[in-house]
Parts: sequence; C-alpha cells; structure tokens
Amino acid sequence: MSKRQLAMVMDLNKCIGCQTCTVACKTQWTNRNGREYMYWNNVETYPGTGYPKNWMELGGGFDAAGDLQPGVIPNLEADYGVPWDYNYDALQGGASFEPNVEPTWGPNWDEDEGAGLFPQDNYFFYLPRICNHCTNPGCLSACPRDAIFKREQDGVVLVDLDRCQGYRYCIAGCPYKKIYFNPKISKSEKCILCFPRIEQGLPPACAQQCVGRIRFVGFLDDEEGQVHKLVNKYKVAIGLRTDYGTQPNVYYVPPTESPAKFDADGKIIEGSTRLPIEELEKLFGPEVHGAIATLKAEMKKRKETGESELMDILIAYQHSDMFRLDNNYYQQVAKENGQHPLAPVDNRYIAGKHTKSGHEMKFFHGGDVKAGGHH
Amino acid sequence: MKKLTSTLVALATLATAVAADSAINALKITKSLDKVDAASSVWKGAKFSTVTLYPQTTIEFNDKKANELNADNKAVQAKVAAVYNDKKIAFLIQWPDGTKNVQQGNKTDSYADGFAVQFASNYANPAELPYIGMGSEGRQAVIHLQKQVAKFYEPNGNGDVATQVNPNQTDLFEKDLKKFNAKVDTLASSDYEKSYVGEGFRSMTEIKDGSDNATSSMAYGKKAWSGTLSSSLKDEYVDLNAAAIPVAFAVWDGEKMGRNGLKYLTSWTAVVLKKGDDTLVNALHGKIEGDAVKGKDSAVANGCTGCHQMEKTDAANLMGPSLTNIGGYSTVDYLRESLVNPSAVVVPGYNRNAHSNYAWYNVTEGKRVSTMPDHSWMEKADIDNIVAYLKTLKAEVK
Repeated sequence: MSKRQLAMVMDLNKCIGCQTCTVACKTQWTNRNGREYMYWNNVETYPGTGYPKNWMELGGGFDAAGDLQPGVIPNLEADYGVPWDYNYDALQGGASFEPNVEPTWGPNWDEDEGAGLFPQDNYFFYLPRICNHCTNPGCLSACPRDAIFKREQDGVVLVDLDRCQGYRYCIAGCPYKKIYFNPKISKSEKCILCFPRIEQGLPPACAQQCVGRIRFVGFLDDEEGQVHKLVNKYKVAIGLRTDYGTQPNVYYVPPTESPAKFDADGKIIEGSTRLPIEELEKLFGPEVHGAIATLKAEMKKRKETGESELMDILIAYQHSDMFRLDNNYYQQVAKENGQHPLAPVDNRYIAGKHTKSGHEMKFFHGGDVKAGGHH
Repeated sequence: MKKLTSTLVALATLATAVAADSAINALKITKSLDKVDAASSVWKGAKFSTVTLYPQTTIEFNDKKANELNADNKAVQAKVAAVYNDKKIAFLIQWPDGTKNVQQGNKTDSYADGFAVQFASNYANPAELPYIGMGSEGRQAVIHLQKQVAKFYEPNGNGDVATQVNPNQTDLFEKDLKKFNAKVDTLASSDYEKSYVGEGFRSMTEIKDGSDNATSSMAYGKKAWSGTLSSSLKDEYVDLNAAAIPVAFAVWDGEKMGRNGLKYLTSWTAVVLKKGDDTLVNALHGKIEGDAVKGKDSAVANGCTGCHQMEKTDAANLMGPSLTNIGGYSTVDYLRESLVNPSAVVVPGYNRNAHSNYAWYNVTEGKRVSTMPDHSWMEKADIDNIVAYLKTLKAEVK
C-alpha cells in the first residue's frame, strides 16, 4: 500500500457518453507507436460488451481467499478491434473512400444499444473506465519481473518499461483489462493517471476535458477534498466490481434516476423504473443501495431547504474545488528523494540492480540523469 | 499384485533417472568465434550431445489459455555442441519445434520461439550452483536470450519522439510520407537478442552496455530450430576459463504461448573444456545414490505432499513449489541442499501477494527464510533415497 492514494470519482448520473475524455486521452497518449488500439480511457455502454469485449468474463483479480485468478489475454482483432484507417492518399486519384482493413469489431460497436425493448423498457447508461490504480493491483501481483510498481507518494500504478519484458501476465491478472500489450515495443502499457500533469498541479486530461464535469480528482486522505467527501463522508461513490479484490481507486456515483417504463399503449407506468437495481448491484455491490438512498435524501433536502453540501459538490461548480492537486507536494517529494520530478522509472532499478554499470536515463525536460552502478 | 506393479513402475522410472544426460565435450579450435551461426564451419568436428529439456512446472502462471496448452507437456530433447578458442566459447543447440513462431508487431497474443543459455558466475563449488531458474540470492547467473520477434521499437532513450506519431497524423503526403516511414523503419530493431544478469528471475536486469560481448543467431528448418551463442570466456560477469563449466539451456515454444517461465529447461550440464578434473562432471552427471522406491515412501511419511505437488496425479498445492519436473532440471546437490537447508535457495516465486495465504518464505532481517522445515535431522541414507526419488519426478520425453 502506498503512503497516500490519489483517487478519481465519476458521477454516472451526468455522463453523456460524448467520449471527450476518450479523445483527450487518446490524443495525449495513445494515438501512436503501437498504442493505436488502446483506450486507456474508454466510455462503454452498460449493459453491453464493453472494451475489450466481455472484459468482465476474462478472469484476473483475486478470489475471496486472496489468490490471484488466471485470466485471458484479449485478441486484438476479435476483442479490442483493429484501429482501422482510410485511404486519404488515394482519394486525390479519385478512389472511393475505403477503410484499410475490413472493420469487424471495435470499441463501442454496440454503443447505445443497452438492454430491454424500445420504447417500453429499454435502458442503458455510460460507464467511463480508466485504470483503477488499485490498492492491491492484479497486474502488479501477476508480474514475474517486478516491472509494475505503485508509487509511494500517490498510489499511481506504473509499468517500468526498462524492466518489462512483455510477458503479458499483467493483462491476464487485471480483472478490468486496463493494462495493454504494446506489440510494437513488446512491452505492457497502461493509464498513468497523467502523472506528468498531476505533478504540475493539473488534473488528468480526461478529467480536465470532461464536458459534463463528472470527474473529481484528489487524495483520499484530504478531508477537505470533494473526493474524500464523496467516497468517505457521504459514501455515495463506490468502486467498480470490488468483488475482484483489487481495491480499485476510481469510484463511481451510481446512476440514481432512470425514466419510468411504458405500457403497451405507450402510457407511463407510474412508480416503475427502467434501470434494474440488480445491474447496479452487480457493478457496485450491495453498498449501492445506501448510496442511492443518501443521494435521494440529499436531493430532497436540497429541494426543501436549499441546503445540501453533497448536492453542491455534485453540481461541480468549480474545477478548482473538483481537482485538489498540490504540485508543491510533488516538488517536495521529488526533493526529499533526490529524484527528477518526472522520472517515470522505479528508482530501485535505475542502476540495473545487478549490472556493473548504470543505465543512462534521458528525459525530455531538464538535464539527463546519470545513475551510478551498484556493486 | 498391485503393490508389485507399482514397485515395478517405480523401478522403471528409477532406471530413467540413471540414464540422465551426459556431459558435453567442447572442442578447442583456432578459428574465430566472433561471428557464428548454425552454418558456420566452426562446428566441423564438434561432437553433439543430447540434452533433455523439461517443462518448467515449479511455478504456475496466471494465463488460463497458456496453462491449458501446456498442461501435458512432455520433455524435449535437443542436440548441443560446444567449441571454444582462446577468447570465446560458442554453443549450437538444435531442438525440434513443429511450428515457427515469430512474435508479431501487430498482435496482442502472438508469442515467440526462442532459446537461452545460462552461465553461473561462481561455480567453484558444484554443490552450490545458482538456482536453475536464473540464479538465486547470492548466486548470480548470466542468461543470454534470443527470441523471434518481428520488428520492434523498444524505447531507446534517444528522444526520437517526432517519429513516434502515426503517419496519418503527420502533414506528409507521397514522397515525404515515404521518407518519414523509411526513417521510422530505421529505428526498429529486428533482432531480439538480450543478456541478463540476476539472482533469481524477479531480479534479472538487462545488460545494456554491451559488456557481455555475446552474439546469437537462430535459424529454422526441417521442423527444428538451430540456435547459436558466441560469448566471451571472460567478461565482467563470468569467467569460463576452467576445466569444466556448468551451463543450462532453455527453449520457448511460441505456439504454446511460451515466454518467461513457460519454457523447457535443462538441469545444469557440465561442459568439459579440458580433460583431467572430473569434479563438476561427477557432481552433475554422476551415479545417483539412494533408492527411489524407499525415497518415495520416505517422502510420503514426511508429508512432502502437504505443501508440494510431487507427481502430476497429486492435487496442485500453492504452499510450496510444484515438484512434478524437479528431477529433470535439478542437480542432486540442489535437491539435497533444499532438504537439509531449505533457506539456502528460496525459489523467488511469483509475487507473494498473488497468493498471500501461502508464504513460501518470510523475510527476516532482509534474508529470505523458507517456510519449509529443515530436514537435516534425517539420516544420510534417507536423504539419499528421497533425492533419488525426486530425481525420478519429471515428464517423459516426447
């Protein structure tokens, strides 16, 4: 467990599935160099197949006894979807606009389909997903090379690309399938919670760009922070599939409101609700009942009295309140450890534990760091 | 009758234990070994020996499909030749593989065929060689690996980020785009050849400064791979100038999703450079003392199966390493040492957190202490018997 844990809360009542977060992440990190197929941030329709296809059935995570469960490594064509492109170059010559591969599957192939019958009782909601930066990461436990580590200062889970040998057990071990194999570099890669941004006091790109302002970012132990209040004080934000035993650190405010069903004549069935509570229980466990009750009570309180701290938080007035990041904290941590603040490497291995001469590490900013060899 | 049959079966397996691989005789040559592959003339006159590679079953990994594919693996036999001159030593290993597998640059679930040669940094005492699985604490091993990986673009720290973009996101067309793609191409590596130094597989670190001075090659034909390694007799990590040196070999089968511990490996095998000193050869290939049948009874009486899966028919057990192929890739001395001093070598295991209720070891004052009880109280004959039994625990040859 890390000393502090940075966490994200996503309010599912407000997610409109616009994929702005997905695009923010993709343009920042995954549009190149073997990452084209990866969506470190994706927004899937629930119920649905999700991304990668049927990820909840691909194993990984821990059982009740704490044993890592075997999992399956998804296939690029069948489960993730090939990121196809178009023949822009040939268009000049009058060719017709064609994809370069026959698209057979991709993320959001079943977007907005959901379940039930339209218009009587169909339903769906959006489920945005990033790496959960788990307290007990399945990927980390599965790695036979100590190539995955959890940062002490904020609990961000990272892959040390210098140690990673592309064995892919991490992918089998992650129950959320949020770590990916980059076949071009033959190493695993994943959401880094935009740590280079975070260390400068900026929220992750997905949270910054969210038009619905559904994402809150902050340290769980920051009692003044909205993340702490949503997760610990009001307990309205709950981890996804906590039954996997990895103790995820992305929390969701479950969808509380859904429209009523229609009868055969198209009339509203009073008191009915389209979203089956069983679905929410499957995703968020039995705590979802308490969370929904609290949300409804606070909504009522706000309507009646005009006062509710919880509702004020969820309205998301100010980015400055939603994102409680302290770049001074990171500068202090880097100073204390004599580190380069952007060093994306677990310093246990910078020198190459058993090699006689150290590796030279180069960073895009600042000076080069030469690590000495250990004897 | 039933008892008699099982005794006969046990005796038969005991017979296979005796017929272990023999030492490899290296041929001294004067030709250069700087550039060597399977077709080189350096192999003319070299004597081939048979080595048996057993499926690694000590640790089970968490890849469901791979585990299914590898559940009934048999041992693989390979032919090995060794030659050396004043500066270098070279190995040629040929092993059967029905399919050529190259890890692709556009697939998430394709795996490579490959091979590795392992040396011990310190082999003065053949009874205390590094653990066969890439060394152990205080006993360093050096591994040279080659895998069949299509072009790959490993981060090289050279800051060539401008070429990392998707070509469709550049503002380049036609000639310029071709030029750009050609430049990107030059940044690819197509030879996945690496050397590592480590004290147990978790701790392995890549030797990136070229100080290992090793080169390898792989060629496929007639349903078999030929791999060669040429390496300095002395570098920063090993000194192979001796009458005989311990060497171990491993091969990976990409068809069965082989990588990392999903492999076939030999036990430490003696490679004889100069005749005269048989200490290492005797230690690694000598006659096994002890009675395997009595040893099995002893193993049962001492409750080994309480923690270890001994034979394939036993239930898997997370408490201790599985021993189903331990006889194939362990030396007699290692087995004996593990009984009388279980903490001498603690198999690093996968992350202890993967099975938090089964602590193979505890860390006391920075030292790993095995949870296995010390069996040094046993009589020598009894230990010999158990070791003889453990040597019979291995898969049949395919």
